Amino acid sequence: MTTLRAFTCDDLFRFNNINLDPLTETYGIPFYLQYLAHWPEYFIVAEAPGGELMGYIMGKAEGSVAREEWHGHVTALSVAPEFRRLGLAAKLMELLEEISEKKGGFFVDLFVRVSNQVAVNMYKQLGYSVYRTVLEYYSASSGEPDEDAYGKFVFSLKLNGTILMLRIPGLVCKTIIIFLAYETGSDSCRLMGFMYPPLDNFSYLRLYQL
Amino acid sequence: GEHRDYLDNGNNKMAIQQADKLLKKHKDLHCAKVLKAIGLQRTGKQDEAYALAQEVAALEPTDDNSLQALTILYREMHRPELVTKLYEAAVKKVPNSEEYHSHLFMAYARVGEYKKMQQAGMALYKIVPKNPYYFWSVMSLIMQSISAQDENLSKTMFLPLAERMVEKMVKEDKIEAEAEVELYYMILERLEKYKEALDVVRGKLGEKLTSELQSRENKCMAMYKKLHRWPECNALARRLLLKNSDDWQFYITYFDSVFQLIDESWTPPAEEEHSLEGEVHCSIEQAVNFIEERIAGESRSSRPLRGPFLAKLELIRRLRHRGCNDEYKLGDPEELMFQYFKKFGDKPCCFTDLKVFVDLLPPSQYTKFIQQLLDIIPLVAAAEDEVALPGDIKALQQHLCVVQLSRLLGIYHTMDKKQKLAVVRELMLRYRHGLEFGKSCLKTELQFSDYYCLLAVHLLLDLWLEGEEAAVWQCLTLLEEGLSHSPSNAQFKLLLIRIYCRLGAFEPVSELYSSLDAKHIQHDTIGYLLTRYASSLGHYAAASQSCNFALRFFHSNQKDTSEYIIQAYKYGAFEKIPEFIAFRNRLNSSLHFAQVRTERMLLDLLLENWEWAKRGLGEDISEEHRKLSLEEETLWLRIRSLTLRLVSGLPTLAHTIQPKNSEKTAENGVSSKIDTIRALLQQLEAAVDSGKKFLEQKIQYPVLGPPPTRMAGFFSNGSCQCQTSLFYLVSDIYELDTNGLEDSAEIQERIGNSFKSLVERLTDLFNKCKGDLIEVRDGTLKTHPNLLENLVFFVETISIALWVSSYCDSVLRPFKSNLQKKKKKKKESSVAMPPVFTHFLDYVTELQTLTSNVIDHIKGLEIILTALKLEELDSLCKHREKKFTKTVQGKVQSSYHHSVQEIGELLKKRLDTIKKLKI
Repeated sequence: MTTLRAFTCDDLFRFNNINLDPLTETYGIPFYLQYLAHWPEYFIVAEAPGGELMGYIMGKAEGSVAREEWHGHVTALSVAPEFRRLGLAAKLMELLEEISEKKGGFFVDLFVRVSNQVAVNMYKQLGYSVYRTVLEYYSASSGEPDEDAYGKFVFSLKLNGTILMLRIPGLVCKTIIIFLAYETGSDSCRLMGFMYPPLDNFSYLRLYQL
Repeated sequence: GEHRDYLDNGNNKMAIQQADKLLKKHKDLHCAKVLKAIGLQRTGKQDEAYALAQEVAALEPTDDNSLQALTILYREMHRPELVTKLYEAAVKKVPNSEEYHSHLFMAYARVGEYKKMQQAGMALYKIVPKNPYYFWSVMSLIMQSISAQDENLSKTMFLPLAERMVEKMVKEDKIEAEAEVELYYMILERLEKYKEALDVVRGKLGEKLTSELQSRENKCMAMYKKLHRWPECNALARRLLLKNSDDWQFYITYFDSVFQLIDESWTPPAEEEHSLEGEVHCSIEQAVNFIEERIAGESRSSRPLRGPFLAKLELIRRLRHRGCNDEYKLGDPEELMFQYFKKFGDKPCCFTDLKVFVDLLPPSQYTKFIQQLLDIIPLVAAAEDEVALPGDIKALQQHLCVVQLSRLLGIYHTMDKKQKLAVVRELMLRYRHGLEFGKSCLKTELQFSDYYCLLAVHLLLDLWLEGEEAAVWQCLTLLEEGLSHSPSNAQFKLLLIRIYCRLGAFEPVSELYSSLDAKHIQHDTIGYLLTRYASSLGHYAAASQSCNFALRFFHSNQKDTSEYIIQAYKYGAFEKIPEFIAFRNRLNSSLHFAQVRTERMLLDLLLENWEWAKRGLGEDISEEHRKLSLEEETLWLRIRSLTLRLVSGLPTLAHTIQPKNSEKTAENGVSSKIDTIRALLQQLEAAVDSGKKFLEQKIQYPVLGPPPTRMAGFFSNGSCQCQTSLFYLVSDIYELDTNGLEDSAEIQERIGNSFKSLVERLTDLFNKCKGDLIEVRDGTLKTHPNLLENLVFFVETISIALWVSSYCDSVLRPFKSNLQKKKKKKKESSVAMPPVFTHFLDYVTELQTLTSNVIDHIKGLEIILTALKLEELDSLCKHREKKFTKTVQGKVQSSYHHSVQEIGELLKKRLDTIKKLKI
């Protein structure tokens, strides 16, 4: 029993029960406004009949419009403690995937802390696979993902970082097997992972090849 | 090039040097000048930066580099209006530039010049006929209508014009994007042309509405409701529920519409379709069947759905309100809730769900209902006389739900102290037992049994309110214990914060609050917990810091939102634009913002050495309490901001020239300053009266409801009376100043009397600060936070007294030196000293003595606090809790020590000021 609707600015005043969770980041106002201005349809909130906010998902379309290559990205997904174990997160993911597909997104990806095992397992159940591990995605001093980090984290991989997971609609989870292994060098680390089957035929995915 | 890199890397000095080098070679390189100006701005030389920038701006540059650099500079100067001037000039010189016109549009958007935006949008469209430009112009009309003071003007001029502009595009078949249709819908909705809006959404244009989920359906539904087209409302809600029988909002619409149709005696047409949206339900039987079908369908769903079951309870409630239930055989709510518990009792939200419907249970059945639920939970007792405990997480969750329901239904409320304590013991036993299931929980996760601990604490809080002093200490002990097992539990932390503050101990609060990692918007939504108590408990440094955090957030709001309003134009998220503006306004008019601003300034005055002459959860809060609290906070804010304005008005009165008579001064305008002070004083009196009237209602907020303001203490300890008398004294001294010493016996006497009564009142205020801050009574600790708050008020009031004395000093000193000159000239020893000098000297001496006494008192408090041996109390507590009890008591003791130290330091500074005041 849930009301699903678009997230609005006023919800920021009411989302403490969701956000006072140690794994849920409270971003600066600009961050939320950017998502609301640019990708309002990817920002959905669930409300209980008593009016309490139960959880929300916040996402965006990423990639290049010019090359007609883009995908959906989940930036934040969080459910308040008393509304967990109801499948709400899965429902919200489903909605975002639906929107992303409708918009022509090729796949949906997300970052999740390696330590957040509950979330990692949930995403795996939803058909997501670990694609690669990334260093210090969450450690930017501002607490907000640093756009410049994109180039940076490729060269500074470390275990105990964050993992990038993705799901390609139409492909069964089992078919993507990802081997993650690391070779630590003096100033750079190399990801030895590869995918099976090789994803070279998906030109778009080359963007993410290391 | 190079200097730009320096700027980007924050090396402003090098950037300035590089720019200077360039400028030596090329005197008129505009861009270099602007980059130098940016460097100057960033190194704090705002005036030079501005002058240099205006030099370039005056030449009306049209090169990209200069324009962009100036835009950056003006933004950093917080002068966005200058950017509009810049591009207005550029557009005049290069009238066909799409780029400059669009910069101009955005510059207007940043400052909210809606009319000019409308024109700029059209100008752009004329140069390059792209749809977005045209619709930017249309949106600017909507913004004019929103910001228009005159609603009539907005409905008869701006919106119809916007409508015609869109209609023109529709007729010419030029509508391209979804955003444009959204905008059209927005206009029609605002014009209350719901029928037309519905036609757009349902028509061909509506096909473009695809981005949002069910965008078309949601918009149609909104319009059906506005048009009272209940058949369509019903049919659409029904259809959407068939698709997703868990979406609550559509159940509500479905029920609303069914009962509307019944009341209207609506009957479906015999031959045609029921409605535009298909089949309509218009009788109770149909509604009942529909819900039963949803429940039957639920069993086929992959995941259990709560919606259909709760919808049934909702339907029963609505039928009851209409006075009909039994004949439809929906079932007994008690039984249905029991079944619901069976199905969903192991979900943490079961309690929240059932909470909404407990009013369907007759109070006489409460105990039976609870017992019925308890009976089906698999609990096992190790021995016959021991508590039966859950064997797994599911059973624990079910049991927790029952415990929460018991509290909600008031089962514990009627218990006596002994019974309540027994329940607390049982809950804590269950809590500790439940930790077993969470052994593998990460630090970031909550423990399954946390709620037991929370409930035990709430019961103890009830006991505390009933006068059981020891209970509050046990609350803290249990919460600290809970937090040690579940370090991420925000409920524990918030409760600890509230209770420590109530006990007058602020020190532990800082750490708890920072572990909540509250930031950004949370400075508004929970930050008030800090700012309410920090300074009033004498933690001045922490108070400054928390005010600063909050203010930084509020100040950045203005700049941040403008940026995203512009983005919303770019991305065509038109409906977000009014939303962003409303959000910005809501934050700007936050009561907390106004309070923090005022308190921060008062705090600055208090903490600074003012040298004269040199310068001038948990529980639900009822709507009623919410309203009362808002009223109280607003009244208190008015008193505080008037106090602030009065205090900061004092330096403007400073005696500078020697006036000969009062009329002259009235002419030269100094008198207007005292008029302001007198007017403010009247307003303060009025505000104080309203405050007193408000407090006559003797409102008791729930212990975890809104924290009461400091207003009650301000009145009852006498600081209010002292402070107003002090401001009246200012007025008298001013009169003496303008009148001169001759023929002023009456004024002098009045001032003398004020001095005397002020000393008495301040002494009374001090008496209200006396007593032990923490005492041991009947083996329990008792804190007296009100004494601490009174001390803080004393410091503030004595500070105001000193500032007023400084003013008095500045008035009397020239009089005295004049008299002494006269004395020397006439060589007479008979020039009598007017009595006001003696009065003032006596007064200042008394202030000094009083302040010294208070400092001594504080020293005494420090000694007592240090000597207080808290360990001896431990015999009362169970061994298990001992460790946490010690922590809690130690924290409170240390916090009081900290408060007293900061207050003492501040008073010592005040004492130094007094010593300088003796004429």
